[in-house]
Amino acid sequence: MSGALDSPEPDETDSPHPVTGLDERVHQRVRLGILTIAHEARRVEFGYLRTQLELTAGNLSQHLAVLETAGLVEIEKGYAGRRGRTWITLTAAGSAALAEEIARLKLLIARVETAGGQ
Amino acid sequence: MTSDAVPAGGDPRRLLADVRGLARRVRLAQRVTWLPLLVLALVTFGAILVYRSSQPVLSDCRAVGEGQVCRAWYQTAQLYWWSALVLAYVVISAGYLRVARARGLGARVLPYVLTGVALVVLSAAVSVVWMALGDPHYPDEPSTSAQLLLRLLDPTGVIGLALLMLAWLERRRALLLFALGYLAVVLVPINFGWGAGWGDKWGFAPQLVINGGLLLGSAGFALASRLRRPR
Repeated sequence: MSGALDSPEPDETDSPHPVTGLDERVHQRVRLGILTIAHEARRVEFGYLRTQLELTAGNLSQHLAVLETAGLVEIEKGYAGRRGRTWITLTAAGSAALAEEIARLKLLIARVETAGGQ
Repeated sequence: MTSDAVPAGGDPRRLLADVRGLARRVRLAQRVTWLPLLVLALVTFGAILVYRSSQPVLSDCRAVGEGQVCRAWYQTAQLYWWSALVLAYVVISAGYLRVARARGLGARVLPYVLTGVALVVLSAAVSVVWMALGDPHYPDEPSTSAQLLLRLLDPTGVIGLALLMLAWLERRRALLLFALGYLAVVLVPINFGWGAGWGDKWGFAPQLVINGGLLLGSAGFALASRLRRPR
């Protein structure tokens, strides 16, 4: 995966603990999964997300609504023949939020490992 | 996965592992590596027939020993390569988009297709400039470095260069190794001694059979590994 997963390794500074900067809209297992898949796929269909994340349609819709309201994804409804299809695309803000979340997760891991080694 | 909010003090390692696992699954679902390899193999094999059925434009013939050497421009074959490769990239692009859409995903093939087409244009430009310069080394052979560069920018070479981009896009080490091996064969052609008695019109056939065979074989492996993978 490019971009988000390739963010630079965290450095050890006196900055605030990474937990304090976590965005709850992103730092949630399912929503983080949605953003990750949308980032990697460029564009993802509702059904693919539902299968991969093992969610009900209602549950997934709720998470998508949170992300859409936050401006992190765009949702586009259309048809493929007679079948309705919903496509989800990551916005620039969503991409930045994902990269930041992953950088914070790496920072957290580094902190835990440093603390564990002392 | 659950829908419960992960506490801030949750397990970041697990979250990161989930992220990587999901990204990997998406990449696997988007791969259609056998398609470009198969299409490019067909284009390469098609070139054998074009070389066989067309006449090169000969000029500036000079007597050397008991024979003669001429400038030869394989006009029809050049036009075939340029148009067939551009068409191949259109087919590959359409194939990737179709497969990805059917799986509910977007495709990540555009950089590969753009690179491929740009390299075809570069190859054509080098060929035209080389001809316009009247082959500066003629009647001698170009220097080794010039030969390597010309082979790299030959239609068979640019196929391999574009495959490097596809390997990077798909994060596929096996394809990277294949592309490097393919380029090595293009740069340092293998000569098994085939075609010695095949006549002028089959002069390019042995190398093209090897190049096309490599592409076709890899397409077979890629397709087989795709079919073996659980969905």
